[in-house]
Amino acid sequence: MKKQILYILATACLLFSSCIDAEEYNDDPLGNFEALWTIIDEQYCFLDYKAEEYGLDWDEVHERYRKDIVSTMTEKDLFYVLGNMLEELKDGHVNLYSGFDVARYWSWYEDYPKNFSDSIQRIYLGKDYHIASGIKYKVLDDNIGYLYYESFSDAIGDGNLNDMFTELAICKGLIIDIRNNSGGQLTNASKLAARFTNEKILTGYILHKTGPGHSDFSDPYPIYLEPSNDIRWQKPVVVLTNRSAYSATNDFVNTMRQLPLVTIIGDKTGGGSGLPFSSELPNGWSIRFSASPMLDPEMNHLEFGIDPDIYVNMTEEDMKRGKDTIIEYARQFLSQKDLE
Amino acid sequence: MKRYLFIIMGMIYCTAFSAQEKDSVSLHTEIDSLSENQFVMRSTLYGIGYTNILDTYLSPMEYTGVEGRILHERMRMTKLFDGNVSTQSMLQANIAYTENKSATGNEISGLVNWNYGLHYHFKLNEHLRILTGALGEINGGFIYNTRNSNNPAQAKAYINVSASAMAIYKFRIKNIPFQIRYQVNVPFIGVMFSPNYQQSYYEIFTLGNHHGIVNFTSLHNQPSLRQFLTLDIPVSWSTLRIGYVGDFQQSKVNNIRCHTYSNVFMIGFVKNFYLIKNKDKIQKKIPF
Repeated sequence: MKKQILYILATACLLFSSCIDAEEYNDDPLGNFEALWTIIDEQYCFLDYKAEEYGLDWDEVHERYRKDIVSTMTEKDLFYVLGNMLEELKDGHVNLYSGFDVARYWSWYEDYPKNFSDSIQRIYLGKDYHIASGIKYKVLDDNIGYLYYESFSDAIGDGNLNDMFTELAICKGLIIDIRNNSGGQLTNASKLAARFTNEKILTGYILHKTGPGHSDFSDPYPIYLEPSNDIRWQKPVVVLTNRSAYSATNDFVNTMRQLPLVTIIGDKTGGGSGLPFSSELPNGWSIRFSASPMLDPEMNHLEFGIDPDIYVNMTEEDMKRGKDTIIEYARQFLSQKDLE
Repeated sequence: MKRYLFIIMGMIYCTAFSAQEKDSVSLHTEIDSLSENQFVMRSTLYGIGYTNILDTYLSPMEYTGVEGRILHERMRMTKLFDGNVSTQSMLQANIAYTENKSATGNEISGLVNWNYGLHYHFKLNEHLRILTGALGEINGGFIYNTRNSNNPAQAKAYINVSASAMAIYKFRIKNIPFQIRYQVNVPFIGVMFSPNYQQSYYEIFTLGNHHGIVNFTSLHNQPSLRQFLTLDIPVSWSTLRIGYVGDFQQSKVNNIRCHTYSNVFMIGFVKNFYLIKNKDKIQKKIPF
């Protein structure tokens, strides 16, 4: 009996002496700086890839920005320094959120031509376009279907897609415009893509980090696109892209370009192939960062965007005439395909 | 304030005393002729307390706040080992609303826990008995972080076999029967669901990558403990039970560190009843 009691007491001591905690940082400028640097160091998924691509050295970044941290600095100064440090990652999925501002890296589209004008798009849509959940669509004059999906955050149902494809069934080709679509739910993107394949196809791979080391990754897990059991499109398709096609839209473009009847036209996409996670700092600021990379079927990274099959930029002359060069090119392309 | 306290204590004393009277008159003569294994103790307690949550899949920061808990327990002696073994079934559910230290984020958590097990009774003397045994336990719950993006929530699902020990001490103050009980359960082997370090639920459930999400657990990666301390006070119509639950759940699986430390004050009632077999035969003899 005594032995049993001793055993219980020993077990209790063992339990109380083995608390599972996370590393704690002080809520001061240095503590918040170290906490942010460590979150990225242990959890950000592109440190190795970006070291290869453009020489990112996260330890060197620590040394450089550590010099700017002083205990007397204001919240705004600290936010500015931390925001600049995060910019080194060149990732639109990395944001630092405070009560007064959001640190961001938007060069992936701000440094490039817009290649989209909503006022010109309005000319094409007119007033008689249809809306199926988040998708605007209509049949253009030359019997080409046009659909605009502005955000993959807008949910679509199979019923919406059935109604839309029934309406567009008479068209000789289809333009899917996802310019300025900065992402949303991957499930919405794959639900739409499933209408364009008749067989299960490999579209890429996903990995996740398995530990805090820069190279601690799981084996790539294949991602397949399975055909929808509802109405499926069997004619040529053009997907229009620009630099503002980002995140889940980047993934949609990667999926669609694997399909034989699909052509990507426009500008390179913005990228953003890491599934973002969130964390936070001792002072309560929230941090979003890429946590889980997605690759194409050849296991190439898609973080910095996908090239179109045909590069087309909007021209000043066309814009002055109220014409969208990329839509016009796509219409000609589909008409030509129809003749073939 | 003191006056009210004395009045309340006086009321508890009076009701307890009357209950004790009733006990001695109506029960003592009957108990001897009844089989011990047909006694069932059932209690339901409600509690409120303080909890501290950490789940590094969601945040490296601790969240603290208020927790509400309900605990339903059923104990019964069996005929096993000459009637020295009892069964215990315990169902707990708790929900908590917590906040981080900087008051900028919230987490809502909930867990349902069901234990079932056997204890062997060592009757040390008339007052004290020590129980040791094992429990099987099933746990299911969640933690939801209100501001995260693709990692907004963490599912909790794990089963364990736990070592359990209990001490029951019966005593009287001015002839009123009280009972104090302490129980501790320590899981020593189990299986736990956990996403991998940075694996999204999208990858697990939508894409179907289940590799490494079911993990073996033991004291090295799940040093947890649940303890219960209760005091039974007889009142006129029932038995009042007040108690403390210390629920310390910890794990370090797939490099994800988690803990939930809950300290909860509980109050409720105990109901003792006797299972009547062959009820139909007895029913015929009952005149009303």
